[in-house]
Amino acid sequence: MKVTSILPRVSLTHGRNLGLLSTLILCLLLISFFSPKYLSIDNLLVVALQVSFIGIAAIGTAYLIIGGSVDLSIGSEYALCAVASAMVARSLPSPLAWIFGVAIGALLGLTNGLLVWRVSISPIIITLGTLTIFRGVALRITNGFGVRGVPKSFATFGQAHWLNIPMPVWVLAVLVSLAHMVLQYTRQGRHLYAFGGNREAAEAAGIDGKRLLLVCFALNGALVGTSAVLAASRFGSAAPTFGAGFELDVIAAVILGGVVFTGGEGSMVGVLLAVVLLGVINSGLISIGIDPHYGQMVKGLALVIAVTLDQFTQEQQERHRKKMASLERASTA
Amino acid sequence: MSNRETSRPYATPVIRGVGITKYFGGVRALDSVSLDLMAGEIVALVGDNGAGKSTLVKILSGIYQCDEGSLWLGDVKVSHLTAKRAREFGIETVYQQLLLCDNLSATANVMLGQEPVRSRFGPFEIIDNKRSVEQARRHIAELGIELTDLSSPVRRFSGGQRQAIAIARATVKAHRLIQFDEPTAALGVRQTQATLALIQQVAARGIAAIVITHNLDDVFAVAQRVVALRLGRITLDVPVHQTTREQVVACMTGMSFQRDAS
Repeated sequence: MKVTSILPRVSLTHGRNLGLLSTLILCLLLISFFSPKYLSIDNLLVVALQVSFIGIAAIGTAYLIIGGSVDLSIGSEYALCAVASAMVARSLPSPLAWIFGVAIGALLGLTNGLLVWRVSISPIIITLGTLTIFRGVALRITNGFGVRGVPKSFATFGQAHWLNIPMPVWVLAVLVSLAHMVLQYTRQGRHLYAFGGNREAAEAAGIDGKRLLLVCFALNGALVGTSAVLAASRFGSAAPTFGAGFELDVIAAVILGGVVFTGGEGSMVGVLLAVVLLGVINSGLISIGIDPHYGQMVKGLALVIAVTLDQFTQEQQERHRKKMASLERASTA
Repeated sequence: MSNRETSRPYATPVIRGVGITKYFGGVRALDSVSLDLMAGEIVALVGDNGAGKSTLVKILSGIYQCDEGSLWLGDVKVSHLTAKRAREFGIETVYQQLLLCDNLSATANVMLGQEPVRSRFGPFEIIDNKRSVEQARRHIAELGIELTDLSSPVRRFSGGQRQAIAIARATVKAHRLIQFDEPTAALGVRQTQATLALIQQVAARGIAAIVITHNLDDVFAVAQRVVALRLGRITLDVPVHQTTREQVVACMTGMSFQRDAS
């Protein structure tokens, strides 16, 4: 038996990743056929930069959904972290402002986690509430306007390059790799899958579900904060309208990436592929010269097709299992 | 304490409950229940719905705390048994709904919460997969379970196989007592026999076993002792060979068998 087979992956995940990869390659080929310069290094770096903000946040959302929860307020967290960071940068050194933005994110995430843990309603409802609250706070502290008077040094983080690759892409690459390893190789990752798969069973096995959930929420907030600080820093400032609809893009990417909304299934590889695929569809349509509004439709369609295929596969497996079970009973009777 | 027990085949009970009483609001779910559990002994716990079987099991696994009475773990008196303490002492429960993670492999389920660690990075503990598979395989083999594919998610397994995986997991952690909650309720004839054989395997390793059941066939097939609960009180606690189905039923339902028999 292969040692790797103990990992909580299922054929569904492998199938999904393969499907995503082939769709991605197909898209790239199609786009480059109509727009040959799309596959240039410079353009691909731009695409990578565009997807990195959603990608960083998608890591946290993937963890939460695998663990059987979700945070809908990430768009508002994103706005609040961005404006808070930019506002602090006016009076404090920029590095402190960046850290502040990430810390605020962790705090907002932890708040959501505590509410979700304590109040036994769906996390969707709870975080729908905090989505509105956080957005309100972001609008209130800025009076609805973009933050002005941010020093130039604030932009040095988001606009930095290393080996010609933009900072946000590096951050995404490092964080996604770490997140993948934690999920696949550590007890914490295994316990997250267990908790998302069957909460009661995980806790009966001695897993501290509360701690797991709170850490995931705080981590998710910190990742959203990181993404927001990178965006604000790249932009040189921030506005309270940042990240409107961000949660929908992120959750769509995560689900398209093979994370099952009911928890317990999914991989970082799939999520990364889905994030990249959606980014390629977006930018590709623009570079071919198709109305970008079609991009919305194509992305939505991709999600609907993916989950429908999932459902059909599961139903087929279920039928197969029932057939086997009835055969087993027939043979023993 | 051990002096009083010298007549028993095993000197000291692994677990002993003395006068355990539990209230839910005004309802007395358990009424001064006293029970000794010996290593390697299979005790069938029978009783009608609401007799207090589940309450007793939950007290022994530390999920509920008793309001009166005391628990002895070996020769240590424990006034407040928590779930953590019960686990550490080596008490596990195999619930009727099995509490398996359907999305994880058989190996991952058997080793859940007990994964061997290869190395650490800060707070992160890297699972030693090789050892994990070996240990799970050993626990499964020791029970005489035949499972060919340990790497598929357990949702693909049949009811009997899932039961076996749940029992194997309990044996990874429990070395004192395993409580089986209606282990055969959802199983066919052959799987029932296989499961009862597993329970005997568990007991043969010196682990005490409590089997909650509604099925008197199970009682007389595996148990050495039968304990009947009725309305929170113990109405029968005898070796199986000293009783009959009729007496067990009478003690469960409160019908007048005992008067007729005596």
